[in-house]
Amino acid sequence: MNKLRIVLAAQLLVFLVWGGWLLSSRDADSPEFYLATEPVDPRDLISGTYVALNYAISRPEPHGCRFGRQYGKIFVKLEDKGKTADIAGGPVPLYEATDCARAPGHGALWAEAALQYSGRGDTLTYGIEKFFLNENDPRKDARSGEVVARVKLGHGRKLMLLDLVRKL
Amino acid sequence: MSYYKRLRNDLAAAAAEGLISPEQADRVWQRAYGGRLFANFRAAHWIGAAAGFFVALGLILVVASNWDKIGDISKMGAFLLLFAGAAEAAVRLDDKPGAAIPLETLWFFMPVLGIGLYAQIFNLSGDPVKPYLAWAVLSAPLALLSRRPLAGYLCSILLFAVLFWGTLGRGNMLALNSLNAGGYLPFLRWGLALLVLGAAVLLYPGRRLGLPLGAAVVWLFLMLVSDTAIKLRSESLLLLAGMSLSALWLTWSDTPDDDKAALPLKTWIGAVYLTTFFWHHKPGSYSGYGASDTVYGAALAWLLLAGALLSALFRPQRLLPRGEAEDVAAKALLAASVLCAFLLFGAGELSSKILAVTANLLLAAFGAANILSGAKNASERHINLGVAVIALTALTRFIDIFGGLLVSGLGFIFTGLAFAALAYFVNKGRKALIESVKK
Repeated sequence: MNKLRIVLAAQLLVFLVWGGWLLSSRDADSPEFYLATEPVDPRDLISGTYVALNYAISRPEPHGCRFGRQYGKIFVKLEDKGKTADIAGGPVPLYEATDCARAPGHGALWAEAALQYSGRGDTLTYGIEKFFLNENDPRKDARSGEVVARVKLGHGRKLMLLDLVRKL
Repeated sequence: MSYYKRLRNDLAAAAAEGLISPEQADRVWQRAYGGRLFANFRAAHWIGAAAGFFVALGLILVVASNWDKIGDISKMGAFLLLFAGAAEAAVRLDDKPGAAIPLETLWFFMPVLGIGLYAQIFNLSGDPVKPYLAWAVLSAPLALLSRRPLAGYLCSILLFAVLFWGTLGRGNMLALNSLNAGGYLPFLRWGLALLVLGAAVLLYPGRRLGLPLGAAVVWLFLMLVSDTAIKLRSESLLLLAGMSLSALWLTWSDTPDDDKAALPLKTWIGAVYLTTFFWHHKPGSYSGYGASDTVYGAALAWLLLAGALLSALFRPQRLLPRGEAEDVAAKALLAASVLCAFLLFGAGELSSKILAVTANLLLAAFGAANILSGAKNASERHINLGVAVIALTALTRFIDIFGGLLVSGLGFIFTGLAFAALAYFVNKGRKALIESVKK
C-alpha cells in the first residue's frame, strides 16, 4: 500500500474517532443546565463567526478556587443555588461555581477547567467559550444579560455547549 | 547578479570562445538549473498551488457561513468524503503536476478544515494554538512523504508561525512569558516549543539550514529579549548573545556559493553596523524595565559565545572568498565582532566609544578585505560589496558627526554636493578596480 494512502487512512481515522467521541459526549447521559453568560461577537479564522462567551464561573468567588499562579487543570463544583432565568419554556435554574479542587469530588457536578492567565488576569476556561452561528443569526448581537448558555457534562467531565438561549 | 545568471553568462562566453560547444554549454546549464530547489516549479505550477490554496480557503468560508441546514453527521460525512477524495486524487495523479499540486495543497489544508468544522458543530473552544499544532501534526507525514517540497514548506512555515505567535503570545499552551509559564510546568512548555522548532527545521525541504536556522536565531533572540525564563536585561549580555547568534547563523548556514548565504552575511554586517552607534551610548541608559538577567539566560549567552567562537575557528568561513589569507582574516573578523561585546561589561562611556570605534574598524577591515580578495580572485561581486560597506560606514559617520551642523540651506547644499562628488569618485574607483581585474 502506498505510504501516502497510509497517511490518509490515519488522518481519516483521527477525524472519525474524534467525531465519534464528540457525538457520544454530546449525547452523554447527563443533565442539561444553564449558565449566566456575557457575549461579544468576534470571528474565528478557521471556523467563522461566533459569539465569545464570558461566564461568571470563569472567575469563581469561593475561597477554594484561589490557586495563585498554579496554572493548569482544576475541577469546579457547579450547583443550583437558587438563581433563575426566564426563557421561552419557563424559568430555569442558573448553576454557579461553589468549590474548586485539583481532583474531582464525588456526588456533585464537577466540571474540568483550565486555570490560565489572560489579558484580564487569571481565568478558568471550560472549552465552552465560543458559540458558532450563522452571520444572520440575531443572537450574534446579543448583549450581556440577554442570553443564557445551555450546557451539559460530556466525557471526561468536560462541559459541552449545546445552545445559546434568549431570556424573556 | 545571481549565481544562475552568472553561470549562464559564463557558459555562453565559454561557448563563444570555443572552449566548449554550445550543446555542452546548454547541457551544463540544464543540469545546474534543473538541480535548484524549485526546479520542477513552472509558472503553471505556482498558479496551480495558488488555485488549491484559494479553493481550500473558499471551502472553509462556505463551511463556516452556510452550513446550518444540514445535519451534523451529514456535514462530518461530507467532509470525510471530500478529504478522502481530494487526497486519493492527489495520490492517483501524482505524476501530473498541474493537477497533483493543487490537490496536494487542498489535502494539506483538509485537516484544518475538519478541525474548524468540528469546532463549529460542537462549539469547541480552548487553547488558540492547539488547532494549529494539531493541523501540523496531522500534515507532517504528508510533508515528509510527498515527493514535492510544497507540503514541506507549508508545514514548516505553519510551525514557525505557531512558534512565534504562541511563545510570544498569552493564554496558550506555548506561551513562554513569565506570567503564563511562571508556575505551570515551564519545562514542559519549553520542551514543546523546542519540539515545534525542531520539527519546523526538520520539515523544511532540501535539508537546507539557512532560512530555518535564521528563523530559529531570531526566535531565540526574541526569547532572550522578552519576559521569559531566559530573559536578559543587561545590555552587555544581550549584545554578546546577539552577536554570537549572528555569527552562529553565518557559520552554520548554507555554503558561501549559495545565494541563501547572503541573508546571514547581511545580518552580520547589520549587527556590526548597529554596534557602531554605541558611540552615543550612555552607561545605564537602558534600564531593561528595572529587571535583572535570569540565570538560564546568562548561561545561554555564555554557551552561545562558546559556540560562536568554536564555529568561527573550526567551521568554514562565510565572510570572504576562500583562500588561505582570507580564511585567517575572516575568522579573526568574526571572532572580534563577537568578543568586542566584552567592552560593554562594567562599561564606562569611554569603553562604549572604544566599542563603537572597533565596530567601525571591523566594517572597514571587512570592506577592504573584500576589495583586495575580489581584486585577487577577479570577483566583481566582492569588490562591489567591499566598496558598499566602506561607503555606507563613511557616510553614516559623516552624518553622525557633522549632522548637527546642518542648520542652514547652504549646509544642506554643501553636503549634497559632497555626497555627489563622493558617489562619483567611489563609482569611478570601483569601475577602475573591476576593469583592472578583468585585464
